[in-house]
Amino acid sequence: MRELGGIALLMAALLTAFPTVVQAQMEFSLDEVDEEDAEPAKDSKRQGDLIEELAAGDDADSGPTEPAPQREEIAEEIYAVQQIYALRLKRHELAPSVAFTLNDPYLKHYGLGLAYNYWFTNVLAVGANFIWYDWGTNPLERGTDLVERIQNQSRLGVPINDWQTGAWVNFTYVPFYGKFKVRKKIFQWDAYLIGGVGFMRTKPITVFGVATDPPRVFDWQTNVAFNVGAGLRIFLTRYLTFFTEFRAYMWPDQFENITPESQLPGPIGAGDPSTWLQPGSSFVANTSIQIGFTLFLPIKFEYRLPK
Amino acid sequence: MMKLVPKTLLRIGILLALALCLVLGDGLREGAGTASAQDVQVSGPLAGATSVKKLRLWRAMRLHVEPFFAFTIGDEYARSLIVGGEARFHFVDWFGIGGWGGYSVGQLDMNLTEEIQSKGFTTNANRLDLPEKDNFPQQIGRINWWSGVELHFMPFRGKLAMFQKVFFDADLDFFVGAAFVGVEERADAIGRPSPSDVAFCEIAGNAMDTGCLESQLARSKRTAIAPSFGISFNAFFHDFLGIALRWRGIPFKYNTGGTDNNKDGQIDSNDRIRQFNNMFTFGLIFVLPPKTKTTD
Repeated sequence: MRELGGIALLMAALLTAFPTVVQAQMEFSLDEVDEEDAEPAKDSKRQGDLIEELAAGDDADSGPTEPAPQREEIAEEIYAVQQIYALRLKRHELAPSVAFTLNDPYLKHYGLGLAYNYWFTNVLAVGANFIWYDWGTNPLERGTDLVERIQNQSRLGVPINDWQTGAWVNFTYVPFYGKFKVRKKIFQWDAYLIGGVGFMRTKPITVFGVATDPPRVFDWQTNVAFNVGAGLRIFLTRYLTFFTEFRAYMWPDQFENITPESQLPGPIGAGDPSTWLQPGSSFVANTSIQIGFTLFLPIKFEYRLPK
Repeated sequence: MMKLVPKTLLRIGILLALALCLVLGDGLREGAGTASAQDVQVSGPLAGATSVKKLRLWRAMRLHVEPFFAFTIGDEYARSLIVGGEARFHFVDWFGIGGWGGYSVGQLDMNLTEEIQSKGFTTNANRLDLPEKDNFPQQIGRINWWSGVELHFMPFRGKLAMFQKVFFDADLDFFVGAAFVGVEERADAIGRPSPSDVAFCEIAGNAMDTGCLESQLARSKRTAIAPSFGISFNAFFHDFLGIALRWRGIPFKYNTGGTDNNKDGQIDSNDRIRQFNNMFTFGLIFVLPPKTKTTD
């Protein structure tokens, strides 16, 4: 009985104690909530802010007595990098332009150009360009006064060739790109290297055979030509750009023969037409500036983001 | 002056019309209002933030000292090889003032000079222009030294990625100013007895210069003042080190060939011809003080 009495007292004590525990769990006071929420928040902040954690150092480790695992101090900054403004990959590029020759002291040359490129990577393209020089201007009116001065002052004739057209197949490579800001506009740009091979059609302007009977008349001749250059492209939109480029077009050219008629073989007066051209070729380098616009097609493209 | 025939004008008109159609077609596209460059319209947490943080100030209140090598381009008779230096002080990162100077350490005769020297022909009709073909390189005009003061504007700057590996800061420097150039030309001479039949020249110290041979070698020097302008691409690789690739134009008149260009029978200042003298320069930039500051 004494044992049963003891168990009954224990049961009574438990029954009186349980409602108190349940009541304590069911009644939320504001202070209790703050206390409960505040603790995890502190832990979370401490864990999330690496810089604060590093700055706190050993002083913050007041709680745990066990040695903390070793960590490397990482002082890195995270930068947001803008996507490349205009992708070139698998797009076609059309580029009308005008060309001005820089280094011909005897004759001015103005060309109308058109170029096409296909970008098989974002920085590499294969394409072709075409320049039309003989579009209606009189070559004699494009001559500089240097020709006349040389003729009068040195008694020398200057053999001059006019240009009709040229076409080249090119590779383009874009090693540089960037952006700049003008007031509140940001412009993207890139710089490229270009080079290729093609042809250039030229013919001599008759200088030494004007007075012969009949006067010398030359046909256009086709020469193998090479070119190298560098350019700058500024994106006005994602598909329209302004560009300027420096190009050096090089080819071996044949000029009018300056040997006096009397020393040439063939009929007296005009000589043999096969001797009207100089026997050898001269290396010609036409350095020019080209300015124009490019149109990228299709005009829209999609970024392919890593998953 | 080049004249254009009506057919050519028609062709130009067609091309311009096509270009106009292209531009208008682009402008009328739906959504074209947002297709003009790239607007700086940042929303979200970056709204109102500065466009650049920790911008390296390569120029503000700093001195650039730049030794350079240059060569002239587009010359008729001789190309100048120039060694010199330039100093610029910048009050802000986009504006500065500077001075430069160089000396022509070499002169490369152009192919035209060599052609005249080897194939030129002298008669009494052109004796004043070419007294002796072998001496032609000694009669042409040359430029011995160059200097100038210029204002520099750097509206564009940025950074370059090269092969996705090498990154460096770069800017464009537009400059304008005045140049002072040391010109050496053929000295004044008068052809006698007549402009079209010259047998001797009258020059200072010798009124009977037979065949104008002494006149051909007589020289005079002067300082020409001319406008100068150009553009430079600058790249900075270290706190105090960079490179500059510069084009500079200095148009002024001088007698390039030492010849009677206005055909008045005498060599004088009226024979000077306007030349668009321009040069290309490679420079190494040293920045002082050497420590580069950055913005916030």
